[in-house]
Amino acid sequence: MIRFDNVTKVYKNGTVAVRNVSLDIQKGEFVFLVGPSGSGKTTCIRMLLREELPDRGRIWVAGREIIHMPKWRVPYLRRNVGCVFQDYRLLPNKTVFQNVAFALEVIGRPKNVVETQVPQVLELVGLAKKRDNLPSELSGGEQQRVAVARAFVNRPLILLADEPTGNLDPATSQGIMRLLDRINRTGTTVVIATHDAALVDWMRRRVVELDQGTIVRDQARGVYGIDATSGSIARTEVGARRTS
Amino acid sequence: MPLSADYIARETATNLWRNRLMTVAAVLTVAVSLALVGAALVLKQGAANAEVEWQRGTQVEVWMNPTSSPSENHAISNELAQLPYVHACSFHSQLSDYHEAQKLLTTSEFSALTPKTTPASYRCTPNQPQDAQFVVNRFKGQPGVLKVGAPLQQIHTMEETITVLQWVFVAVALVLLLSAGVLILNTIRMAIFARRREVSVMKLVGATNWFIRLPFMSEGLVQGLVGSIVAASVVFGLHEVLNSLSNNSTSVLAQMRLTGWEIFGTDAIVIVIGALIGTVGSAVAIRRFLDV
Repeated sequence: MIRFDNVTKVYKNGTVAVRNVSLDIQKGEFVFLVGPSGSGKTTCIRMLLREELPDRGRIWVAGREIIHMPKWRVPYLRRNVGCVFQDYRLLPNKTVFQNVAFALEVIGRPKNVVETQVPQVLELVGLAKKRDNLPSELSGGEQQRVAVARAFVNRPLILLADEPTGNLDPATSQGIMRLLDRINRTGTTVVIATHDAALVDWMRRRVVELDQGTIVRDQARGVYGIDATSGSIARTEVGARRTS
Repeated sequence: MPLSADYIARETATNLWRNRLMTVAAVLTVAVSLALVGAALVLKQGAANAEVEWQRGTQVEVWMNPTSSPSENHAISNELAQLPYVHACSFHSQLSDYHEAQKLLTTSEFSALTPKTTPASYRCTPNQPQDAQFVVNRFKGQPGVLKVGAPLQQIHTMEETITVLQWVFVAVALVLLLSAGVLILNTIRMAIFARRREVSVMKLVGATNWFIRLPFMSEGLVQGLVGSIVAASVVFGLHEVLNSLSNNSTSVLAQMRLTGWEIFGTDAIVIVIGALIGTVGSAVAIRRFLDV
């Protein structure tokens, strides 16, 4: 579903954000990208959305090579990739319903489809009763649920989340994770870049750790930090992938 | 992607109302700038009209010798009628010129004249003021002709002045148009800058550039149209004021008077410029925010 092939990204100021990253993510996987600030997690997410282009290497998303994709096709790529951010990125003057409906209007879905699908997804995220509220009238957790609903309403193949719980308390964060887990169970591939060690440890899903732009660990059911028992296994996995 | 007129109309109306302060700023900028452009265009057209009026009034006077024979008079009259560059001629008899001289000359000058010693004259309007020179050359020294007079130096000066004046007004209109364009573009850019987050969300959920651009262009069109209609009204008002001031007058203002069609044409130009600046300005202003 997602494939990085020897991807390197160097910013104009010389900072190497990502260095020779190779990574395969299968359809329906739930993957955490972890690592300290500046390790390259967000750059990976931005490259998957074609907000950034790598300097070397190739990237495939949903079967398409996206580096050489013409600019006019990028919106169509983004319709297959839902995205959730730490700062929610909701339109402040639109209601919950309108914010979610917007994602369907943009791709030209007819009115009757919008009116069927939006209430369904609002039900899924538990905000059916707040459909007419503005984002400013919601809590941080609720705003993030709206963002998830917007990202999922057109049933994308992939859902990316960049620090989705960065502004939320632990209990609310767990709620968002449960929601993302439910979405993953519908067959959507979920990739989350996060700092939240507790959540990663709690979820026990595949963990890809980046450090200074390089993958240092890729663990099938991992935790946030390298512990004594899993560290050696993880390194072996990365080594095996690189040699294959 | 299907992009419905309903969506564009809805987004345009909502955004204009939501950003009403910016909308008012853009409309006022368009109105003030284009009113100045329109005024410059009116003055330019006025100068052109004044030139036409003045050309109509340019006359060459062929003074006949008081002792000229009727056959000489007849020959001159025939020749004048056949000249292609002479628009029209009128004959003023000796008596008629005598009475005119009475009005124009001082008593001491006039006392030297009698109807018999006053020359008769042909007063001719050439097709173009510069044709006056040909009439002068043609009749000077002909039998029966006393003198041929034309305001040649004045014609030259007036033509130059009006040409310069017209160019000045065109240049002023162009400079104003340029500054109006920059002002309007800047206002629209500020309005879009305030909404860059909205644009980034649109991009994020997969909106095509045209889907984002069209409502903004539609907003620009509305702002440009409203502003330019206000400007056109101001230009029309200016025209009406000038008309009322120049009623029953032979001043320059009266000569500059524009016809209904001319003022309609100027207003149409102002409105088209406003609509274009609004629409194209929005498309240009949003371009940099679309490149993500």
